[in-house]
Amino acid sequence: MIILSSVSKFFGQKKAVDNISFKTKEGEIIGFLGPNGAGKTTTMRLILGYLKPNSGKISVAGLDPVEQRVAVLKQVGYLPESNPLYQEMKVFEYLDFIALAKNEKNWQDIAKEVGLSSVFNKKIEELSFGFKQRVGLAASLFGNPKYLILDEPTSGLDPLEQEKIRNLIKKLGQKKTIIFSTHILSEAEKVANRLIIIQNGQIVYDGKKPKEKGGVEKLFKKKVKN
Amino acid sequence: MKNLIKKELNSYLNTPLGYIITILFGIFANFFFVKDLFITGSASLRPFFLLLPWFLLIFVPGQAMRSFSEEKRANTIEVLLTLPYQETQIVLAKFLVNLILFFIALSLTLSLPLSLSFLTKIYLPEVFVSYLGALFLGAFFSSLSLFFSSQTKNQVIAFLSSVVCLFFLLLLGSDFFASLLPKNLQEFFVPLSPLYHFQNFVKGILDFRSLFYFFSFTFLFLFLTVLELEKRK
Repeated sequence: MIILSSVSKFFGQKKAVDNISFKTKEGEIIGFLGPNGAGKTTTMRLILGYLKPNSGKISVAGLDPVEQRVAVLKQVGYLPESNPLYQEMKVFEYLDFIALAKNEKNWQDIAKEVGLSSVFNKKIEELSFGFKQRVGLAASLFGNPKYLILDEPTSGLDPLEQEKIRNLIKKLGQKKTIIFSTHILSEAEKVANRLIIIQNGQIVYDGKKPKEKGGVEKLFKKKVKN
Repeated sequence: MKNLIKKELNSYLNTPLGYIITILFGIFANFFFVKDLFITGSASLRPFFLLLPWFLLIFVPGQAMRSFSEEKRANTIEVLLTLPYQETQIVLAKFLVNLILFFIALSLTLSLPLSLSFLTKIYLPEVFVSYLGALFLGAFFSSLSLFFSSQTKNQVIAFLSSVVCLFFLLLLGSDFFASLLPKNLQEFFVPLSPLYHFQNFVKGILDFRSLFYFFSFTFLFLFLTVLELEKRK
């Protein structure tokens, strides 16, 4: 379970995350929505212990991400925003590096499942955006993490690839707790079973996904004021 | 840790910069020694070792500048710091790889004692201690350069900051600087210079104080680099 209790994070004077609290349940696929700069990425980085909160408490499977960062990271798979990769590495070198770090023996099977077998020997810098995203996604699945945190997993992909990634997230969500951020509201509608909407660092909605078609967009427009 | 070292080594071997810097170091270090060898007529390695710190002033920061700054620029630091590795392991892996590369570069100068040994009898223990000193000096320079590399995402700034800092530290131990200072200040400032301690090694002396100096300063900058990574905004 991931628990955030009254967590705040400042960057200088700016409050990026303002006193937020939520708790995940097993098997949830949480769509984390909000406009640019709302605090989605900061919240995800706080959960991973990549950033330290100024106040409040975070717990991931009962562990503190700041004090027990390594133990937490063994249980969390992460796809960062804009998917930074070592461009000069070949795909298999990169995946092998991540797999060794996360103690994943069957990394080649995961890479094949994500559709990377045809580019194993290519340099990452030579890959299309879609393949790069798949590399990042495959790496996030290594080590069989209990939790997956995906920061804009389909950003920049063509509709066909977006659909593939969505289906993969849905499939993974049967066994794992997933938090994914997105700007595509229809994506949240298709994939998530719970929504958290954040604006100016504050949670403005945390609850079930509306059942009617277009409900997510209506809810988002209602909750996020310009 | 082995995984991190392998990745760091590959990142140097995958780019031409690492090879270029190492080969240039080998060429210049050999050339500047050999060019004066027959003029001075002295078949000793001391002039080479006395010149070495000034070469390393450029070589080591040039080699280490990308260690963290490139990770920060490309944001791969986020990949690295969200893998289950301690910050200490990350810093040590980068430090060890810099040391390995330095060791390779230094081994390119082994041609000097080898060729000198054909011309004259060289005192091997002195050469050995001098090389040992060079390794300690390289370790200290690497740790300081890693620290500056962790401070910025700009490799050039990391390089220049390291060079300027090392230049002043070397200057503290130079005869020129010492001559400008009153004796009581000399006694305080000169032992702060790596040049002063390296010169003990070049004389063939294994001085405990010099060993302590290199160990403690290398450790200090590695520790500061770990702190910088742990700080994370």
